[in-house]
Amino acid sequence: MFRSAASAEKQSTVNLDNTVEVETPEHVRFRFHVAGPTRRAWAYLIDWLIRLVVFAAIQLVVLLATGTHLRIGKAIFSGSVLLSLFLIEWGYFVVFEAAWNGTTPGKRLLKLRVVKAGGYPLSFADAVLRNLLRTADFLPVGYLLGLLVMSWDSRFARLGDRAAGTMVVIEDPVRVTQAITLDPPPTAAELEAFPHRVVLSLPEREAVELLLRRRDLSPARRSELADTVAPLFARRLNMKAGEPVRFLALLYFIAAGTRAAKPQAGVPT
Amino acid sequence: MNRTQDEFVAARKAAWDELDTLLAKKSLLHKLPPASISRAAGLYREICSDLMRARSAGYSGDVIDLLDSLAARACAAMYSAPPYRLAGLRLLVTAGFPQSVRRHARFMALATALFVLPGILGFVGALKSRSFAIQVMSESMVQQMEKSYADLRQGREEGADSMMAAFYVYNNVGIAFRCFATGILFGLGSVFFLVYNGLLIGVVAGTVTAAGHGRNLFTFIVGHGAFELTAIVISGAAGMLMGYALVDTGRRTRWASLRAKSGDLFRLIMGAALMLLLAAAIEGYWSPSPIVAPVKWGVAGGLYVLVFTYLLLAGRKGEPEIDA
Repeated sequence: MFRSAASAEKQSTVNLDNTVEVETPEHVRFRFHVAGPTRRAWAYLIDWLIRLVVFAAIQLVVLLATGTHLRIGKAIFSGSVLLSLFLIEWGYFVVFEAAWNGTTPGKRLLKLRVVKAGGYPLSFADAVLRNLLRTADFLPVGYLLGLLVMSWDSRFARLGDRAAGTMVVIEDPVRVTQAITLDPPPTAAELEAFPHRVVLSLPEREAVELLLRRRDLSPARRSELADTVAPLFARRLNMKAGEPVRFLALLYFIAAGTRAAKPQAGVPT
Repeated sequence: MNRTQDEFVAARKAAWDELDTLLAKKSLLHKLPPASISRAAGLYREICSDLMRARSAGYSGDVIDLLDSLAARACAAMYSAPPYRLAGLRLLVTAGFPQSVRRHARFMALATALFVLPGILGFVGALKSRSFAIQVMSESMVQQMEKSYADLRQGREEGADSMMAAFYVYNNVGIAFRCFATGILFGLGSVFFLVYNGLLIGVVAGTVTAAGHGRNLFTFIVGHGAFELTAIVISGAAGMLMGYALVDTGRRTRWASLRAKSGDLFRLIMGAALMLLLAAAIEGYWSPSPIVAPVKWGVAGGLYVLVFTYLLLAGRKGEPEIDA
C-alpha cells in the first residue's frame, strides 16, 4: 500500500507530459492536464477581441444616445469611454474568473479553467491578484516576462499564477474509446492454435491495447506496426503469427481469459 | 479483478455518465436539489475508487483521463471556494484594510519617504530652475502647467466634471495597480513608480508655484490629496511588501512566502482602489468647484484627519483581527 503511494509520488515528479497530480483531503489522487502557453495565448486573443468589440459597442451606443453636437454630449462620451476602458482593462478577467469559477469566454472556448494548485476553485482574492499581476507578466512587451517565468515551472504558472497559487488546466471532455472487437469472430481453429494459458505482462498488454484501440492509424500502418511485435509473441508461444493485427487481437482476448466467452463480432467483450 | 478494461467500462459507464450530467447541470453544486447533491457525493467516491482500480489494473489512458477529469470536476464542485459577499466588502472597509495597513507600518513609512522626498526635491528644483522642470517633464508640458492654474474660477464646461472624474478613475487607479503589480520584481517596480510619481507631482507643483499660481494649485489638490496620495503610497507599499516577501522568505519557499502575504496584499490593493474611487469623485466634482479657498482648505483638513484616524484606529476594537 505504502509502496504504491510512494511510487505514484515518484512517477508524478518525473512526468514528461503536462499533468499535475493533486491529492484531496480524502487521499484521492487525480491528475490535471495543465494548459501550456500556446493554448492560453489563443484564449487570451479571443478575450482580447471580445473586449475590443464590447468597447467599440459601448462607444457606439453612447455616441448614438448623446450625440456630439452638444458640448455636454462630448463630455459624457469621453467620460464613458474612459470609464468603460478602465472597467474592461482591469475588470474583465477578474469579474469573469470570479463569477464563472475560473473561466472567461475565451477560456471556455479553449476548455480552460483556472483552479487553485490543490484543484479547488479560486476565490475572488485569487482572481484579483492573478489578474492585477498581468501588468508585471506583460513586461517588457507582449507577456515576455510571463512566458519566461512559465517556462521555469511544471505548471506553467506566470507571475500572477504564482502569487495567487493558481494554475490553468484543460477541461477537455474525454471519451472512452470503443471496446476492442474481433471481427469476424474467432474460429475454433484459431483458438486451438494458441496455448491454453497465455500470460502477458502489464506493459505488454498496454502496448497491444494501444495498438488495437487507436482509431487514427490507417490499416496499413497498423499492420506494419503489428508486424514488428507479433513475431516476438509468436516465437514465445511457439506458433505462427499469421495476419499480425488479428494475431495480436486474439492474443489480447485469450490473455484476458475470455477464451471461454468466445468474443462476438461487434459485441464488447 | 480479472475484468478486462472493456468489461470494466461497460459495468461502470452508467455511473460515470450520471455524475457527468449532474456536474454539467450546474457548476455550483449547492444549486442542485438535495437528493442530487448526496447522489453526486456518492458517485464522486465511487469514481475515485474506479480511478484507483483503473490505474492499478493498467487500463488505457483514455479511461484514466476520463476518470481523472470527472474526479477533478466533482472535487471542484464539492470543495467550492468561499463566496465573496457584500459582507466581505464591509469587513474589508471597517477592519481588514486598516488592519493590514497598520500591520505593515514599516512599508508604509518607507513608501511615504520614497514618494515624498522626491516630491520635495522636484518642488524645490522646479521652483529654482525652469530647466530642471523641463528635464523632468517636457517644454510643452511646462508651458501648459504655467498657464493651466492661472484662474481656477473660470469653471469647466458642462459635463466636464463627470468626464474628468472618469479620467481620474482610469488614470489614478491604473497607476496604483501598476505601482502595486510591478512590485513583484523584487519591489523595484513599486519603488520606481513611487519615486517617479512623487518627483512628477513635485515638479508640477514647483513649476506652477514659480509661475505664481501656487495658491490655486494647492487649493485644487488639497481636497482629494488626502485620499489620492495616501492610496498611491499604500499601493506602492503593498508592491514592496510583495517584493520583499520574495527576498525574506522565512522558512518558506519563495512563492509560498509570497502567498502567505496574499491576504494582506489583496486587502491593501482593494482598499487603495476604493480610496482612489473616492478621490476621483472629489477631484472631479469638489476640487474644481468655485467654492472659496478657506472652505476648501477647511474641508481638506477634515478629510486628512478622517483618513488618518480611519487608518490608525478603524478595526481596533470589536472586530476580530483578520490574520494574514
